[in-house]
Amino acid sequence: MAADMRLPSIRKAVSLLDSAFDRKDLVVPGDVITSDTGFMRGHGTYVDEEKLTASVAGEVQRVDKLICVRPLKTRFNGEVGDVIVGRITEVQQKRWKVETNSRLDSVLLLSAVNLPGGELRRRSAEDELTMREYLQEGDLISAEVQSVFSDGALSLHTRSLKYGKLGQGVLVQLSPSLIKRQKTHFHNLPCGASIILGNNGFVWLYPTPGQQDEEAGGFYTSLEPVSLADREVISRLRNCLLALAAHKVLLYDTSVLYCYESSVQHQVKDILKPEVMEEIVMLTQQKLLEQEG
Amino acid sequence: MLKSKTFVKKTRSGGVMKIVREHYLRDDIWCGSEVCTECKQESTVLQRDACLESSLCSYPHYLIPDTNVVLHQIDVLEDPVIRNVIILQTVLQEVRHRSAPIYKRLKDIIHEKEKHFYTFTNEHHRETFIEREPGESANDRNDRAIRVASKWYSQHLKTSKSDAEGLKVVLLTNDSGNKQKAEESGLLVYKCEEYIKSLIANPELVDRLALSNDDKNEITASKVLFPEHLPLSRIQAGIKSGSFLQGTFRASRDNYLEATVFVQGEGEDSKEVLLQGLQNLNRAVHQDVVAVQLLPRNEWVAPSSVVLQDEGAAKDDEAEEEEEEKALRISAAEAARKPTGKVVGIIKRSWRPFCGMLNLSQIKESTRHLFTPADRRIPRIRIETRQAATLAGQRIMVAIDGWPKNSRYPNGHFVRSLGSAGEKDTEQEVLLLEHDVPHQAFSQAVLSFLPKMPWGITPEDMVRREDLRQLTVCSVDPPGCTDIDDALHCRELDNGNLEVGVHIADVSHFIRPGNALDKEAANRGTTVYLCGKRIDMVPELLSSNLCSLRSNVERLAFSCIWEINHQAEILKTRFTKSVINSKASLTYAEAQMRIDDTSKNDDITKSLRGLNKLAKILKRRRIEKGALTLSSLEVRFHIDSETHDPIDLQTKELMETNSMVEEFMLLANISVAQKIYDEFPDCAMLRKHPAPPPSNYDILLKAAKSKEVNIHTDSAKALADSLDVAKVDGFPYFNTLLRILATRCMMQAVYFCSGMDSDFHHYGLASPIYTHFTSPIRRYADIIVHRLLAVAIGADSTYPDLMDKHKQSALSNNLNYRHKMSQYAQRASVAFHTQLFFKSRGILNEEGFVLFVRKNAIIVLIPKFGLEGTVFFDSKDKAGPNLVFDEEGPTLTIEQHTFHIFDKVKVTISLDDSNIQHQKIRMALIDPVIPGVSVAVPEIEPQAKKPKLDR
Amino acid sequence: MGNVVQSEARGAVRFSSVEVCGNMAGLELLSDQGYRLDGRKATELRKVQARMGVFAQADGSAYLEQGNTKALAVVYGPHEMRGSRSRTRHDQAVINCQYSMATFSTAERKRRPHGDRKSTEMSLHLKQTFEAAVMTQLYPRSQIDIYVKILQSDGGNYSVCVNAATLAVIDAGIPMRDYVCACTVGFVDETPLADLCYAEESGGVSSLALALLPRGGQIALLQMDARLHQDHLETLIEAAMTACKGVSKVLDEVVRQHLQESSVLSGE
Repeated sequence: MAADMRLPSIRKAVSLLDSAFDRKDLVVPGDVITSDTGFMRGHGTYVDEEKLTASVAGEVQRVDKLICVRPLKTRFNGEVGDVIVGRITEVQQKRWKVETNSRLDSVLLLSAVNLPGGELRRRSAEDELTMREYLQEGDLISAEVQSVFSDGALSLHTRSLKYGKLGQGVLVQLSPSLIKRQKTHFHNLPCGASIILGNNGFVWLYPTPGQQDEEAGGFYTSLEPVSLADREVISRLRNCLLALAAHKVLLYDTSVLYCYESSVQHQVKDILKPEVMEEIVMLTQQKLLEQEG
Repeated sequence: MLKSKTFVKKTRSGGVMKIVREHYLRDDIWCGSEVCTECKQESTVLQRDACLESSLCSYPHYLIPDTNVVLHQIDVLEDPVIRNVIILQTVLQEVRHRSAPIYKRLKDIIHEKEKHFYTFTNEHHRETFIEREPGESANDRNDRAIRVASKWYSQHLKTSKSDAEGLKVVLLTNDSGNKQKAEESGLLVYKCEEYIKSLIANPELVDRLALSNDDKNEITASKVLFPEHLPLSRIQAGIKSGSFLQGTFRASRDNYLEATVFVQGEGEDSKEVLLQGLQNLNRAVHQDVVAVQLLPRNEWVAPSSVVLQDEGAAKDDEAEEEEEEKALRISAAEAARKPTGKVVGIIKRSWRPFCGMLNLSQIKESTRHLFTPADRRIPRIRIETRQAATLAGQRIMVAIDGWPKNSRYPNGHFVRSLGSAGEKDTEQEVLLLEHDVPHQAFSQAVLSFLPKMPWGITPEDMVRREDLRQLTVCSVDPPGCTDIDDALHCRELDNGNLEVGVHIADVSHFIRPGNALDKEAANRGTTVYLCGKRIDMVPELLSSNLCSLRSNVERLAFSCIWEINHQAEILKTRFTKSVINSKASLTYAEAQMRIDDTSKNDDITKSLRGLNKLAKILKRRRIEKGALTLSSLEVRFHIDSETHDPIDLQTKELMETNSMVEEFMLLANISVAQKIYDEFPDCAMLRKHPAPPPSNYDILLKAAKSKEVNIHTDSAKALADSLDVAKVDGFPYFNTLLRILATRCMMQAVYFCSGMDSDFHHYGLASPIYTHFTSPIRRYADIIVHRLLAVAIGADSTYPDLMDKHKQSALSNNLNYRHKMSQYAQRASVAFHTQLFFKSRGILNEEGFVLFVRKNAIIVLIPKFGLEGTVFFDSKDKAGPNLVFDEEGPTLTIEQHTFHIFDKVKVTISLDDSNIQHQKIRMALIDPVIPGVSVAVPEIEPQAKKPKLDR
Repeated sequence: MGNVVQSEARGAVRFSSVEVCGNMAGLELLSDQGYRLDGRKATELRKVQARMGVFAQADGSAYLEQGNTKALAVVYGPHEMRGSRSRTRHDQAVINCQYSMATFSTAERKRRPHGDRKSTEMSLHLKQTFEAAVMTQLYPRSQIDIYVKILQSDGGNYSVCVNAATLAVIDAGIPMRDYVCACTVGFVDETPLADLCYAEESGGVSSLALALLPRGGQIALLQMDARLHQDHLETLIEAAMTACKGVSKVLDEVVRQHLQESSVLSGE
């Protein structure tokens, strides 16, 4: 097996514009944001001797009287309605624990799932015993945030046919802040694969299902072999996602697609080479600008 | 400002290890020159007009010596003429690595402002740092570093704007390779000799030049006289494997061909190895640490009892030498043979400058002469000087430079002259130097810590101190005492008990820990009292004024106050810092008179009587416990106030008041010792007096037995008791003589740190614990004790070194050393004054007692002068009388007469000044008359200059 | 016995040379000109270089060099309690620290099994340090993992770990009251030396490690094993605080630089 090795190279300094240097809205922990007591303390701040002080490094955001600091990178802070991709870590009484890249594991109640076959009924004791048959440890699911508990843990539901257990595909874990909020996070990309951009930074790539099997109720997983062509598309997409993430480009259907298009001239495995990555991302950004403009 | 540079070092420790250290290069290291305008230095060291009149360099210049020049020519660098020298860091580090004493001297020079020595940190300077190149040795790299730094200096000084002076730097090196390379790179470079010889205005510097290795082949024939010393690595291997022994070399005082090596073993395992013959001594000098190899058993010899002195002109004639060596080998009984060995290598030299005198070479024009050190254990040293004529008859100091294997004598160079021999000042200087007594005037740095005059007690002082000014305090001291460190009081309390106070000068108030004054005092350790001169431990302002508890002035004191009942039992003890006002400074005699004079009834006298009464009880109780009263004769010289010559001599007389003061001092010392030990069990500075091993008493027992008196030495108490009853009818002086002998059997009392030792007992005083508290003006130990006590009572704060038992222990070692040396110096001073005295008195006939009996001599004590002298019965030049020595007695039978210990004899005393370096008192026997041995009673002619005596 | 004894030789004369100075043989840690072994002055720190966000996988990570001491810190969390549930705190997050040294980190290669006494102690110190600075009360029932590894050791391991971990925690976006900056100081010739290197640490200097929240001047951790006189403690702490503030300036620069780079990248 050939391995690609390279010597250490000097890190390219990011060219900072002069204006970027004296940006007042960037703070670090311990920076006093304001000593005016009229403001309200939001996330990422605390009050020390009546002064509003930052506790994380990031950007100051102000909404009316509320001041909060948004860190550049953080764990996922879910809000109701967010689409997430997650992994089952534990099966408990009447609930599953789901690892969703937030600071506590999320909860998927037995009552918040559609039973296979779309049956609508009260959950019986028998269902509790067969929970592991639906979802067991290690399974991946897509879901939506139903509510947020007082300690910050998320409650999920899969009461829609688009949610449920995920079958064959590739999971890419990225920073949640890179996922652009959109109307829909499920996309069938024209290149031949589908993508779920979870708000929690987990992205699911899978072959576009042949026919929309309404009956599956989210619990049907196809075990048919995926064609080589599909696998290659999925791999290329994965590498494109990593390339975009490395350059901190927001992820949504268009950006992913443009990136895919820009990468076709390269082999899949070459996409991760830094210089190729840079080139592809440059092209993508240009296309995005053109599209906007 | 910082530039980082890492480099890799390899060291061996089990295997190869890669050590990476950072090395920062800076651009803020300045050149230190007054001329320079570029460097942003705050103060400059090197002067603008660095002028030295040299025939080689006619321009102002700075000197840069390389490492070897510093190591070998430190005496030259120390000369006040040599100024404006740049010491490179490379050089400083190498010197530090190679020789600790020279490093210390170099640092002293650098600190001296007058010398204008500047240390340039070239290893961290951005432009002068160099990396070691592959294949380059460490030495070569350092030489290159020195050249690079010199180059930098010469360019740097050139570029600075005020170049009018044409300042240059001159590199001094003795290494011809280095010199050549330096010349190639355009530097001004000279050999050290070359340069020093070019200093036309100061020709005397040439004498201070050490002989470098290049010169040695011209000095002596190339014949190898000594075996080669082994390299250190082989010595270490040998010591590890046990084939060599490591020890301190001690030359014999009496025989220059003999020495012993004291091998320190574990516990009792120490042993001595005998060395005989020049070859076996192999160039070791007294006090060197050497490695010796034992000879096979059949070559072992016994120590000889022959006196041999290396005399006469330079011997290059070995016939004579061999004869002398042969003389050593005769007649050694099998039993008397001792382990004998030979020196195979020197581990550490302990060369210092030696005092002595010059023996002029017989060849008139010769510039090489032999120098005879005052200490007989040091070999003679060959030096080169052009001022021989001036130096003859003077006491001079000479340092050894080396001892090549083809030279009979070590090579050295002249350091300085002390003055003409026989003069009082010179001799005093010599004995201070030889006993390592620091006696220079106090430096400005030290004096700067003295209180500003006029000094007075401030209200703040009063707040923190007890006001004892109203008490009737008085001091009792020997006449003429100006450093009064103790005063006493005694008064009756309302409850009928007595209050007794001992007030000690509060020296620790003036000497604060860690400053220059404190460091100086700690180094001096003790005040040294010589006849007619006092070498103060602290500057005079303190010792004779501010700290001295003189009468009718307010003084700060540290008081120890007891409540005592009339049976002299202590009911209460307390310590306090106080202010006192002494009402009288009395001498022992005055105090005695007051006590005895019944008509006097003032407060002072009453106080004295109370003290005296208590002291007697205390003394009795102490003696009951087994304290020893020993005796040694101390003499006092009456010194002529103008010529400072001794005009009379008397033994010190002891009065009741002496023992009264002593008693309370002991009491205070014991109380304080207990207190500080309770408070600081780990770091109290105490004083102990170990019990002597039983074998020490042999001589005392034998001596007593000869007069049929039994002495018990099982315990201090038994000894004291048996000494008390030892009396011989019609021989009143017997008891004193016994006590003098007993004193000689004792061990030295020493200071120690309580955390480092477990045996605290003071044998002589029969006290379980003891310290020194009462004389802080003249002893540093007392200052430490004061500080400890002050902390214990919360009057002062502590500091780290005080609580560090290792530092304390090191300090007490120094104090013990200084104390011992001061005693030797004191004795040497007495001996010298005795000589002066006898010089002026001519010949005297006196009665004396035999104190010891030796194989070929008796040692006689003259009670009148407290003088001890040896009467020899044989001599080198002629056949002696028939001597029979009996070790059991010990007795010595000469012809028909037998000498016992304590025999009364009459001797004639005169000064033998035939050897100006070692003048001595000569005694000859008058009575009993032994034909051929004793001498006729000479006429007493007081002004006789040189009496010729028959031996 | 029986030798001729001159009158001045009373008893055995035993000379012993006294060396009053303490460590003549050892290294000279501070020269008279005020330079240390490596050319720094007493108060100067070593060169500090750092980078944040060196790992994509972890929540926060940082690499920091302080002279030749190099450390890698990684932060995971806050996340659900892993391992024993019993340690869960219902009012705050639990901080879990693990300190380790690479086998090649010292001059002598040495296998370092996990959980030896020294690293356990160091882990505990790090934990205590960060409990003082991280606002753990915001994350009840969760856990924050801080893993630090010394890649090369040249003195001041604890301080370098703290400094690296601070950057990693900030990178992870975990709220802290302030930076935690640490520095070791030693005491030589009455002078405090800042940021000791290995040669100095092993030269018998009594050293003190201090972790400080620089803005408020609160001490997060103070640790000293050697003996030191009480009188010197204050000056030493004073020096340590100054040194820590020096470190905080450097860290501050690193964080701000990182912040600007990232915010520029994220397309504004």
